[in-house]
Amino acid sequence: MKTWTGLCVAGMVLLVAGSSVAARPVQAPGSAVRLPPAGNAVAAGNAVAAPLPPPDLALRLESLLGEHSVLAADLMRGRIRGEQDFAQTANAALGQNTDAMTDLISSNFGPAAADRFKSLWQLHVTALFTYASGLAGADEGVRSGARVTLVGFERDLAGFFADASQGRLNRDVAQAAVLMHVNHLLQQADAYAGHDYATADRISREGYAHTYAMGRDIAAALVPPGQAAALDAPVWRLHSELGRLLAEHVVLIVDATRAGVVNGPDFTAAADAVNGNTRDLAGAVASLFGPAAAASFQSLWADHIDQIMAYTAAVLSRNGEGRDAAVAKLGIFENRFATFLQTATERRLDATGLAKALLAHDQMLLHQTDAYAAKQYQQAHDMAHQTYAQMFDVAGQFADAFGATVAARLPSGSPQTGLGGMAGVVGER
Amino acid sequence: MAVAGRVLLATLAVLVATIPAGSAAARPAHRAVTVPAPPGGAAPVDGFRSVRTFDLVAEPARLRIPAVQVDTALQRLGRRPDGTVAVPDSPNVAGWYAQGPRPGQPGPAVLLGHVDSVRGPGVFFRVEELSPGAVVYVDRVDGTTGSFRVVRVVKVPKTSFPTDLVYSPTLQPSLQLVTCGGTFDHRAGSYRDNVIVYAVPS
Repeated sequence: MKTWTGLCVAGMVLLVAGSSVAARPVQAPGSAVRLPPAGNAVAAGNAVAAPLPPPDLALRLESLLGEHSVLAADLMRGRIRGEQDFAQTANAALGQNTDAMTDLISSNFGPAAADRFKSLWQLHVTALFTYASGLAGADEGVRSGARVTLVGFERDLAGFFADASQGRLNRDVAQAAVLMHVNHLLQQADAYAGHDYATADRISREGYAHTYAMGRDIAAALVPPGQAAALDAPVWRLHSELGRLLAEHVVLIVDATRAGVVNGPDFTAAADAVNGNTRDLAGAVASLFGPAAAASFQSLWADHIDQIMAYTAAVLSRNGEGRDAAVAKLGIFENRFATFLQTATERRLDATGLAKALLAHDQMLLHQTDAYAAKQYQQAHDMAHQTYAQMFDVAGQFADAFGATVAARLPSGSPQTGLGGMAGVVGER
Repeated sequence: MAVAGRVLLATLAVLVATIPAGSAAARPAHRAVTVPAPPGGAAPVDGFRSVRTFDLVAEPARLRIPAVQVDTALQRLGRRPDGTVAVPDSPNVAGWYAQGPRPGQPGPAVLLGHVDSVRGPGVFFRVEELSPGAVVYVDRVDGTTGSFRVVRVVKVPKTSFPTDLVYSPTLQPSLQLVTCGGTFDHRAGSYRDNVIVYAVPS
């Protein structure tokens, strides 16, 4: 039996470094192990970076806000379950996420705006934790107090965005968006505390999509007028949507494997959420390449998820042979899926590089499962973050290749849909 | 952040430490203790099998736009050998570009119709009159109906038709209605502009 984490991480990272879709590997702090790229993570205290162009700023905000909604739910659920260690590491991950957003705002809009944002955002996180504590302790007074704090946060954050956008983002519209974000988090926590896991996960999916989309809307409002048009470009929108779907895949399968590896009562709902994302991905492929390609895609994708779950089940039952079998089958998937995408994109994606990126993706997910099962929550959060970040690199590569493949088949010229019989009327309009 | 982070962690620690016995959080946590899988692999994760089907939006069969009295069957359209889009055979019937998304699928679905024939109005004669907020219905072959709301109506010269904005994949469901407009170039036998109506699911 292999101990996956121990044996494979180094090899995994070497493969990631050679992949055409993965970015530069980085050295994990305090570790001899080279981990895949940290993606959007920006360590606190870094020098202010150069401003990002609007398309990159919007993608980064989408990624960070989406991850915030996931980590906030992790923090609240950990608190509800009474898992202090897990909640603490979720809080630390939230802190890194907040730092990354603050750095982004600082580089694009200045340190004063960043400071104001950060203080508001931290208040928000603290109030969410307090609310979850009220749920855990069945203390309505604590929950009510947290709600009052959150109402103030919603008003103040909306004011921040309205001011920073110089009025381009209407205060009421901003407040409604922030309110919806908060409500998603509170409602999923309520449902989770009530053991209604299906509702909790349905609301969490809605919350992820909403918060992710806020990133685009905020960026569009904050950048100078005229520059926001770049966010309407079809290739940017394709990149954004693929990023959302692929990153949500990571978010949901991480949640499901965590529930599965401890035989938690929330596994079935979490697995149903994974299936929902799989259907959405297949629907996207159908739109791009047609129903037959979508069916092939979904069959391969389902193989991938089945083996991730099989590995999880083997960890739960301490079945070394089961682990090894799952890893071997994942290798088959990676090569088949890479070949499928190379064919679908008419060789715009390279199967060899893609297979390496898929290997890295799978290995990070397995490593995350091992870490969570061993209650190494810091490692589990780190690996979940790396996997999440990698998906945006992959989404960018996919968007370029998919977009170019479809564009090559589009009609040229303009439609000829008039013969002139009513030219006297039409021309006067 | 560092100070605030420490405050939050300290708050967390205090709150966790003060959870009253008998509260929800004091009960055995859902994941705090690993529950061994029963013999025979009866744990839910052991029996998991990924979904292998998805709901494919049915093809469009009919277009209805009450605001401009459009009610028409839809012809399937493709590309001509020269790469341009095929247009409906009849000026009285609209068409769907079937090599792109279906209305309601992720991405832009494109419907085309003639503004006129050599003798009189075509099925999209009044489409240019649509305003933002107008409702467009697409009936599908499976009996379902997609509802869309007009967000923008533009007239563009044929020489700068925005192929990218009309057809390029975005994965956000939308509906584009395309016809002709502007003045008629009698020498070329063609209108000089196209009218494009952009709509989103409502």
